[in-house]
Order: sequence, then C-alpha cells, then structure tokens
Amino acid sequence: MTGTAEQMKGRAGRLARLMPSGPSTAARTPFVLLVVLLLAGGLISLLLLNSALNEGSFRLSKLKRETTELTDEQQALQRDVDNYSEPDALERRARELGMVPGGSPAFLDPDGKVRGVPERATAQPSPAAPPEPEASAAGSASPSGSVPPSPSPSPATPSTAPAAPAPTTPTPTSSGR
Amino acid sequence: MPSKEPPRRRVPGPARSRNAAGGSGRPRPAARPDPRRPGRPVARKRRGGSSRSIRLGSPRPRLRLISLCLTLVMLAFVIRLLQVQAVDASTYAAKAEKNRYLEYTIAAERGEITDRSGIALATSVDAHDITADPKLFTPEDSKAPDAPQQAAALLAPILGKDEAELAKKLSTPKSRYTVLARRQTPQVWKQIKDLKSVFAEKAAEDKAKGGPGADVLAGVLQEPTTRRVYPNGDLAAGILGFVNAEGKGGGGLEAQLNKQLQGEDGKIRYAQAGGRPVPTAGSTEIPAVAGADVELTIDRDIQWAAQRAIADQVEKSQADRGYVIVQNTRTGEVLAMANAPGYDPNDLARSNAAGLGNAALQDVYEPGSTSKVMSMAAVLEEGAATPGTHVTVPNRLHRGDRLFRDDIDHPTWYLTLNGVLAKSSNIGTILATGQLGKTQAEANKVLHSYLRKFGIGSTTGLDYPGESPGILAKPQDWSTSQQYTIPFGQGLSLNAMQAASVYSTIANGGVRIEPSLVRGTKGADGRYTASEAPERTRVVSEKTAGTLAKMLESVVDDREGTGTKAHIQGYRVAGKTGTANRVDPVRGIYKGYTASFAGFAPADDPQVTVYCAIQNPTKGSYFGGQICGPIYKKVMEFALKTLQTPPSGSDPARLPVSFKPGE
Repeated sequence: MTGTAEQMKGRAGRLARLMPSGPSTAARTPFVLLVVLLLAGGLISLLLLNSALNEGSFRLSKLKRETTELTDEQQALQRDVDNYSEPDALERRARELGMVPGGSPAFLDPDGKVRGVPERATAQPSPAAPPEPEASAAGSASPSGSVPPSPSPSPATPSTAPAAPAPTTPTPTSSGR
Repeated sequence: MPSKEPPRRRVPGPARSRNAAGGSGRPRPAARPDPRRPGRPVARKRRGGSSRSIRLGSPRPRLRLISLCLTLVMLAFVIRLLQVQAVDASTYAAKAEKNRYLEYTIAAERGEITDRSGIALATSVDAHDITADPKLFTPEDSKAPDAPQQAAALLAPILGKDEAELAKKLSTPKSRYTVLARRQTPQVWKQIKDLKSVFAEKAAEDKAKGGPGADVLAGVLQEPTTRRVYPNGDLAAGILGFVNAEGKGGGGLEAQLNKQLQGEDGKIRYAQAGGRPVPTAGSTEIPAVAGADVELTIDRDIQWAAQRAIADQVEKSQADRGYVIVQNTRTGEVLAMANAPGYDPNDLARSNAAGLGNAALQDVYEPGSTSKVMSMAAVLEEGAATPGTHVTVPNRLHRGDRLFRDDIDHPTWYLTLNGVLAKSSNIGTILATGQLGKTQAEANKVLHSYLRKFGIGSTTGLDYPGESPGILAKPQDWSTSQQYTIPFGQGLSLNAMQAASVYSTIANGGVRIEPSLVRGTKGADGRYTASEAPERTRVVSEKTAGTLAKMLESVVDDREGTGTKAHIQGYRVAGKTGTANRVDPVRGIYKGYTASFAGFAPADDPQVTVYCAIQNPTKGSYFGGQICGPIYKKVMEFALKTLQTPPSGSDPARLPVSFKPGE
C-alpha cells in the first residue's frame, strides 16, 4: 500500500513539475476586460437587434393597416364611380337633363354630303319608355334596382327548354309572318 | 474467481439439507442467511481473522444485478434514441416543424371580367363576414342582462337586418360561433369597429368606477373574405353567371372560365417562437398568382340597349321570356346577349332560381319562319330556283296526311321566290324545298345537310355551361308531317345563338364563323393573350348569300313584307320575321307563340346581326314583325351608332315580290 502511494506521489510530482509553479505571470486585467467587453457588446447588440426588429414589425403592421385602409377607400370610391357610370344611371341623368334617345343615325361627310336621313330627336320613339326609366330610377341608386319585375303570369316556368315535338304530336300547319 | 465460485454453487445444496434437517422451526430466513453461512466458514478458512469484524456480503451479485438493470435501461434509451433519431427521424422532424413553423395561405385575387373596352363587368373586392361569439353575450360574460337585444338593436341598422333575428342568433345557447352577416363592405365593419371601441371604453370607465363594466359588443367579430361584385347590376348577368359561397364560379362564364379566373393561392411559411417570427430562421414565401382578367366580346352599351329593349317588351307583352343577340358579322364576336327577365348577381338570394341561367343559350324552341332563310339558301345554292322563280301559292296545300295553310287566309297568290320569303308563305316554302330532290326523301336529305352546315343540332362552339344543341332529327327519321314543317321552321328546335349565327353566316358572304364570347385574357404578368381565331366554314356560296341578303331586304323594305316595322331610315336592312307555334315546356303540347325577328344591316355591307325572340307573349300582338321588329330596330340603331357604321349609299335592290299570272 505505501509503495503505491509513493509511486503516485512520484508521478504527480512529475506532472506538477510540468505545470507552471508560483503566481501567474500573465496580467489578468486585460483578459477580464476583454470578457466583460465581449459580454457587454453581445448584450447590447442583441438589444439593438431586438429593438430594430420590433420597430420593423411595428412599421410593417402600420403599413399593412394603411394599405388595407387605402384599398378599402379605393374600392369604395370605385363603387361610387361604377354607380355613376352604370348605363342605367347615365340614362337617368341624361333624361333629367332633358335628353332623349336619338333615332336613326346620320353622318356628315367631310365634303359636306349628308349620309342617312337626319331628323329631329323627340322623346316619342317609345311612348312607354319615359315612365319606364323613372320607375327603375327609384331603385337604381343601389346597383340591384334595375331588375324589372317578372311579367310572367306563370312564375313556375322551368328553365328547361321546350323540346321539339315528338313526331306523333300534331305539328302545326300554320305559322309565319 | 475460482475461489468464489464453488461455494456459491454449493449454496442451494446445504440450504436444502439444513432445512430438511432443522425441520420447520426457521423456514423464513432460509434464503438470506444461507449464502452467508456457507460463505463464512470459507472466509475463515481463506482469509484468516483479518475481515472478521466487517461482515460484508459479496457485492458482486448486487453489482451485476444493478449493472444488468442499468444496461437494460440504457439499452432502452439507446433503442429509443435510435428510433427517434434514425428510424422515425423524418416523422418527428415533421412534427417538430409543424410546431415550429407557421403557415399562411395568401388568397389569390380572382380575375376581373371586362367588356371589350375594358369596363369591369365583374370584379372582386375585400369584404368581411361579421360573426359573433354568443357565449360573450350571456349575462355572466357580458355583465348585462339583455346583451343580445342591446347588441341587435345597435347592429340591425348597420347590417340592414332584422333586429329580432340578430338577437336570436346572438342568444344561441352553448354556441361559440354564429354568422351575423356575410360579405359586408369594409365600411360596415369600420362602423362596427368604431362602435365597439366606444363601448369598450365606456366599459373600462365603468369598471374603474367599480361598476360591472358591461360591454355588449365585445363578442362581435369579423373574418376577412372577398366578395364578387357586378358593378352594372343585372347587365349581362346571364352571360357572366355568378360565384358560389366558396368563391368558385357557380354558373355562366364564371363557372366556364373558373380555372383562369381563380389564379393560384400562395403561401407564407416562417419559423416562429412564441408567435413571433424568428428573423434568422428564414421564411419561404410562395406569392399568390392572381387570376387572369378576361375580356369579353360584349359591348356594355349595346348590351344595355338590348337588355332594356327586350325587358320592356317582355313586360309589355306579358311574355315568359325574351332574348336578344347582337353579333358582329365579320368576326363572329357576340356584342350583346340579353335575357329577360334577368337577375341581379349581386343579390342572388332574391332571384328566382329558374331564371339564373343564360336562356339565350340554354332554351331551345322551334324557330318558325326565321328558319325559312335556310330553306331558301338550300334552294338557291342547289340551283333549284332563283329569286324570280314563279311560285303559285294556293290557299291550302295537301301534303302527307295534313292540310297546310298560311297564317292568313288568302286567295291564290302569284309570288316569286323572293315574295314567298317576303310574305313568309309556308306553302310557298314547302313547294320550293320540294324541288331540292327528285323524291321527297332526297329533298329531305339535302335540306338536312344545309341545316347541319348552318349549325343546327350542334353546339355553337361557345362551350358555355349548360348550352343546348337543340334538336334536329336525322332525315330518315323525319315523320310525314315533319318533312313538310321543317322547311318553315317547325319540328326542329334551336337556341337563340344558333338562330343569330344563321343570319350572320348569310351576312358574312356564306361563311359561318363560330360565335365567340371571350376576346382574350390578361394574365397576372400583364400579358394579353387573344383567344384563338374561331373556326370558319363555308356554308353557301358568296353569290347565294348576296342574293339572300337582297331577298331579306324585301321583307323589311317591301310594302307587302312582314317586317316593315324594322325599317331604319337611310339604311338598307335585311331581316326576317318569325311567329312559331310554341311547345309549352310544361305540358309538351303546342300552346302560345314564339315571336322572333332576325336580320342584319347594312344589307349591302353587313356589319351587325341582331336576333330577337319573345316566348309566349300573352298581351297584345304575338307576331314577330309587330313586337320583335321594333326591338330589332331599336337595338340595331343603337348598335350602328355605337359602332359608327355609316348609312348605305345605295338604294335597296327591290326584287319583285309577285308576278301576274299568265306572264
């Protein structure tokens, strides 16, 4: 037992001799400073990075919100424009200004020749027409107002097409005009 | 080792013998002391008295047991590790990714549908589904006893809904989700949001003062979605179709062109930690590909004029429905396709489901006299007659098992072939088409081939969903009466587009151009792709087409013609009236009439074809010339003005209509 302890001591001694003995000769302060600096720098840069990221995300959400708002506004304005430029609305306003649909077109050639038969436009083309736009005018403030009510007495008319008659059914002998 | 093993092996031996010798006095400690007792004498013998004081048992078995256990545990760990890291690695990695990565779908914007000048006919806008969580309206959560009623009273005017209905939805028990209103404009949601923030502020104040802090609007939420808008209301609704609740095309062109219109949804994927994106982990983004914009051949103004004209007349005549088709004769492009009554695709809930289709392509009916022009084309092309050929038209004509007559009782007429068309004589047409072959069967075959070439009995080529090809039996299947009625347009059926196409073919010098509705598409990259050129087939010679155009002029121009109401000042107008016996689609018998008018202008240089048909007019006149003629005139005038087509410089052909017997 004692022999082995001696041996160990001898080995440790040899090992110990390899290590520097006595107080360290290197200055510790710069190293500590370096470590502190590195740590502090890392922390600060992390902080900066984080705040930059947050700022970015704030800007992103703000811009996104603005985009949505502007898109909404653009679409609302487009809707207004569409309502004004809808043919039904145009016609109504034209009639309010006292305009009437013209009849057959006539053309004036560069040499002064008139092609077609020019005539004065009157509101007569369809006597029933003037009250008609009025009737639809009430509803056409919204784009859904211009559907004329179905005049069909039998609302159950299916959309399926009438089939040609089977050869056995009596075929009409009169038609024409 | 050898020193230990013998005693251990010997252990059971003495134990058993001792137990057997010592009787049942000490049976319990048998297992434990046994290994020691035999061990003790051995130890004494071998090591002497030095270890006597510390009576350590041999650690080896225990160590082995423990190391065995540890090995087993470690083995289990290793196996599990292998399983996690190697065998099932991909599964676990995928599971982890699912948690680590957030994925969003970016909805692709649905393409616009525009008319030929780029005016939007269908477009998509942002919208909000207004939803609510009924649990937050219970007295416990909202701190107000009648929160649903209060909220309903606030929301009803904004959403334009019934207050009681909203209150009922909000007080649904045991529910956490209800939809109050679908596809509202952003403005509506903004109003609600403002109202919500006012109430939330009030509640906070109340709470600060120690009140209950009731917030009746806290449970109102929204979900972003998109809405299909048809800015022109019912204009061209039949053609455009509509979009269903999932945002896919539900009918009409929206369904037919759904693939092009819908685009491709995109995706955003990023790594997240606590709900925030990890900036360094990188993210993948597949941008959404917006749907292509589709440009139609429709002209919005002409479409409007056509729709207005037909809707007015259908109402006035109290008819079932009516169609107007305007087609460019040179290109086959459909400029307008109007149905009446129409519907508003913005508000499908209030439309009649039966009226949602495009009747101009989906309804088939017997055309009547407007199809005589095909019989005349066959007669002229085959050289069986010329416009001046004399036809003596008796009052009645016996053919097959029937007695045929004209629509008016007349003494024997002495007409030219031109006159037969102008006065729309059935008997004259039967007589003329009888000349097509040596026998009636041969004549039938010839007529059938011409009808097919004009596009009867086959789809128009628009590929429109639900389009009907009409019915045209094979000539050998024509019944005895059918072979005499088909020449004047009864016993076969077609849709309005096919009928219009027949007249466009004649207007285009005998070359049939497949009608087209789509002019081109503009992809997400902004590149415009024009549609493929439509198919052109020659049906009759240019000479025949020219002659027919002149003959059709007599219908409108001649004092005795049936279509005088379609006359347009300064223009040469070609047209043909039709008044057909109509098959009642419900009962399958002949009842009522189909009035129609078809034609093109200017006759000497055709630009536009207009076709009009009205089904089952019940009030006033039912003659095609009387009710469809004026529509034709109105729409044609409008189209000529819109397309800036100058009037014809020449005088009408004025072919003779009748002859004096004995000439």
